[in-house]
Amino acid sequence: MIFRTKTRLSPTTKSLPQEKNQPKHRFTLNKKTAWLLLLCQCLNISVIAMELSTWMLSVIVLSLVWQAILLNKKYALVNKNNKREKNARVQKKVVAKRLFSGVNFSTISLALFAILGCIAIAVTAKQVGLLISMLHLLCFSYAIKAFELKARSDFYQLSILGIFVLASSLIFRQNLAFSMLVLALLVINLAVLLQFFSTAKKFLTDIKVIVILLAQSAVLAVVLFLFFPRLSPFWQMPTNKSAQTGLSDSVKPGDIANLTRSTKLAFRADFNQQSIPNYSQLYWRAMVLENYDGRQWTRNKQDSRIRSKDNLATKLEYQSNTSLEQDFRHAIVASGVAPLNYQITVEPSFQKYLFVLAPAVLATDEEGVISSINNAVNTKINAGIKANEDYTFSSEKIISQAQSYQLTSYLSAPLSLVLSNNSRNINLKYPQGSNPKLEQLSLTLKQDYPEPEDRAQAVLDQINQQEFSYTLQPPPLSNNSLDQFYFDTQAGFCVHYASTFTFIMRASGIPARMVTGYLGGEYNGSNTNESNTEQTQQGKTKGHLSIYQYDAHAWSEIWIENKGWIRVDPTSAVDPQRVNSGWSNDLLQQQSNLNNDFFSLYQVKNIKWMNSLRLQFDALDYQWTRWVIGFTSERQIDLFKRWFGKMASWKLALIIAVSLTVSMLILLLLLHFINRAKRIPEPLTPWQILYSKTLRQLAKQGIEKPVSMTTNDFAKFIREQYPELALSFTRLTVSYNALCYQPLPLEEKQKMIALLTRQSKEFISILKKLN
Amino acid sequence: MPQTPVTNSSATTSSVQSQSSIADQVQASQTSIAAILTKIESVVLGKPKECKLALACILAQGHLLIEDLPGMGKTTLSHVLATTLGLSYQRTQFTNDLLPADVLGFSIFDKESNRFELHKGPIFNQVVLADEINRASPKTQSALLEAMAEHQVSIDGVTHELPTPFFVIATQNPLFHAGTYPLPESQLDRFMMRLSLGFPDLKAEKKILLSTSQRTNQRDKKSPVENEVVIDHNELITMQDAVSQVSVSNDVLEYVIALSHVSRSAYTSNISTLHTNQMNEPISCKPLSPRASKALLQAAKAMAFIDNRDYVLPDDVQAVFYVVCQHRLEMQPSQQLGASHSDLTRVANQILKHVDVLNPLGHM
Repeated sequence: MIFRTKTRLSPTTKSLPQEKNQPKHRFTLNKKTAWLLLLCQCLNISVIAMELSTWMLSVIVLSLVWQAILLNKKYALVNKNNKREKNARVQKKVVAKRLFSGVNFSTISLALFAILGCIAIAVTAKQVGLLISMLHLLCFSYAIKAFELKARSDFYQLSILGIFVLASSLIFRQNLAFSMLVLALLVINLAVLLQFFSTAKKFLTDIKVIVILLAQSAVLAVVLFLFFPRLSPFWQMPTNKSAQTGLSDSVKPGDIANLTRSTKLAFRADFNQQSIPNYSQLYWRAMVLENYDGRQWTRNKQDSRIRSKDNLATKLEYQSNTSLEQDFRHAIVASGVAPLNYQITVEPSFQKYLFVLAPAVLATDEEGVISSINNAVNTKINAGIKANEDYTFSSEKIISQAQSYQLTSYLSAPLSLVLSNNSRNINLKYPQGSNPKLEQLSLTLKQDYPEPEDRAQAVLDQINQQEFSYTLQPPPLSNNSLDQFYFDTQAGFCVHYASTFTFIMRASGIPARMVTGYLGGEYNGSNTNESNTEQTQQGKTKGHLSIYQYDAHAWSEIWIENKGWIRVDPTSAVDPQRVNSGWSNDLLQQQSNLNNDFFSLYQVKNIKWMNSLRLQFDALDYQWTRWVIGFTSERQIDLFKRWFGKMASWKLALIIAVSLTVSMLILLLLLHFINRAKRIPEPLTPWQILYSKTLRQLAKQGIEKPVSMTTNDFAKFIREQYPELALSFTRLTVSYNALCYQPLPLEEKQKMIALLTRQSKEFISILKKLN
Repeated sequence: MPQTPVTNSSATTSSVQSQSSIADQVQASQTSIAAILTKIESVVLGKPKECKLALACILAQGHLLIEDLPGMGKTTLSHVLATTLGLSYQRTQFTNDLLPADVLGFSIFDKESNRFELHKGPIFNQVVLADEINRASPKTQSALLEAMAEHQVSIDGVTHELPTPFFVIATQNPLFHAGTYPLPESQLDRFMMRLSLGFPDLKAEKKILLSTSQRTNQRDKKSPVENEVVIDHNELITMQDAVSQVSVSNDVLEYVIALSHVSRSAYTSNISTLHTNQMNEPISCKPLSPRASKALLQAAKAMAFIDNRDYVLPDDVQAVFYVVCQHRLEMQPSQQLGASHSDLTRVANQILKHVDVLNPLGHM
């Protein structure tokens, strides 16, 4: 209100039309706000910087630095200007002129810069995908908008852009720590916006106000969170390789060692009330690699339809086909193996594979296998997940955000007792002559140990007895030769051992394959304080396992008649601790030498209270992922069902929409009435109505009366500024004053009102004519 | 909103006949008012606004406090006011050893008549010029209190009526000057207006210098204009009666109430809301008392009377608002030291800006 009067009521020109054409008020930010705004920009950009391409980032940094220089210059000038003020007024004007021409980035060069930037974004759009290029556009505009802060609306736009940038950074990361960072930045952004309005206040007070306001609006946020329909994103998540994390679908010796340097979370498993199996049982299966070309292991990418035909013959292999799954389940239930229900929440990996303790089936509502997680099983949660015949699971879509699914595992149940010919062939294939020494060894073993299990054990014994060592920095192998590893270097990581073992098995005629995934996990739950999280997890209830990237592992499976696929982990032969309880201290030491990041984790783990703090935060993060990020549209619909019973979704949507609208309307009306009751205690008199009507007409022309100005003073103001309106307005004012303030007999009052009505009409017509 | 006990409702409800008679009275007084104003302005040069306000104060039956630096014409103004209106007056120079008895008078034992006889002090004049009032001790200052409020004094337990009309015109130096006692708030509140003359402009100062140099030639003879009586005190009383009958419309009444209400809400709790609602600077001031609103209204009536109107406009209220309310708005002593007049003007300004003239109680 006051702003309006301030800007409008300083016309220096004499006549009306001229006054309208001139800019009324030069928009300037004060020094503090301007710098805070720049800081805000830097912070917002830094949050999303990881996702931007390098050239865009450098352009943005350049423009931010440029802005900083301009600001510095501008306020240096202003300071000087203030000092000179006393001395010379003429000089001041000159300085002011220079000041504005210097600070405002010239329009043409700005436009040129913007166009060039847009062309560059368009050119690179194909390369980086739609989402990233849109993000580029957003950040680019955010960076250069600050050059043309000429009006208040520009400032608003910049603030809103900043909040958009913040929001878009949540597309890529949603974990608790990051969300909290974004929230903090949001507070700062809003506080800067507030600072603009209350320049006299301290920034900290603004922050306090904003925090209070945000806390108040949290209620609405919760309601919207629960009720607002979740739409799948309109954009396509980037599918480029660089975004992928975790295991890849081809493995060479030495591959997983790289992965183990990462301390990033891979997924979490929640066993709810059940006891967690031993560490050495926690083989999280991710991928089965069956093809070996002498250098690397890859997945078998044969057409799945052909294989599923094949599967029809082998009853116990299962897939998403329900009848087959049922059969499998019944077989297992009949065998009397205790089921283990759990829920897994995967972090975005931008890949499709999922994690499972084999053999497992997707949890369903059916009796007997009802999962106790969440009390009621959510069948929708497992939508879009399919089981593969090699006991792995995969998602139909690329996992671009945290996703949950529920499984039931039967840990000691056998895996596919029947092996199809096709499978047998694949799992016996190896490039002849690639590792002659090993082939030789295999043949010898085959003769010495006719029983497959004995043969496998013999290999393990060999590994155990010879000078093999388990290390993260194995000496390089020429051409990934397994011979060289087994007979010369004898030092390697899990993949080395697993591939060598599998190779020997295949060469000696036992179907064998490589499995990759994760081993173990960190327990986070009620008795974490005992700190021996990796010792025995038996009997621990409540809490979850967090599996990090450094838990990545590779092992072998061999197929034995009547026993099915049996897991053999040759790593256990060389480093039993790795398999039984996790990383040995030697390995941790190695890790920390390799990687600073890991070093810090290693240190933290050794300090008791810090570790417990870390674990607590991890637990919190898990709850966040589970309840907030994991609140998908399926869960939302489930929740509605529980609240409102079964109902068609359109009906539900209608009810929610109607009730929201109605409650909003009621609120609005209520507010309206409260305000009304406050504002207008008495009805207005006819002369007040007439006069305020005239004032409104004047306000439309940009001439506004400050509330504190008396009618006479305003008439004087009009006389001075707009001589062509003076006469009629003065007359009108005189009549109004007489009516309002002078004690008049009734008839005279009536006459006066008529006069005022005429005068007001006349005045408005004059005003319109002038326009 | 607390109702302010304004006692002038008689004026608003008065009949049409009496209104016309007041209008006539206002008309009739214009010539003398013009004469008084010209007279005062010819002595106090270049300050027509202040002269008008001072006259309004007298017409509204209020006491006047003139505060300024030494040598700005405070005493001159008070002298000329008293003489022009034909009032008996006595000037008392307040010093820090001045006793209440020096102002009020005292009883002395007369041997001949064998009883106590009252020696009347300067207070028994129609106009008391209390020069540099803030140099006297608080005890003496408060001796004036009863006189100002009740128009009577008690000496040795006997109450004496004071002459009518009775005014105190006090002058004081700004508070940060050496050897001053701040006036008690209760006493400040009893002054209807606090005027501050300020420096004269270039032209006026030249005139002042010219006139004084002429006067020194004539030695101790006072310039003839200074002693000229324009009206006698009976006419003044008639004018004062007419002033209190000036009509006040409901809008103006509400405007006055709204102004004091803003100052009160700024004082109690709503400083922050006032601050964020409309202004960028917070208001910090003392609340205006009902006596202040009363004084404001009375002064506004006097202004209307001087301007030849028988009704009050918000303009009148605004014109007297600064002088009537500034000294009542002054904050705590700690702030007073730093608070210059311009600060207080700012505060008064903010209060004015908060109130909508057209719809005063609209936002409350």
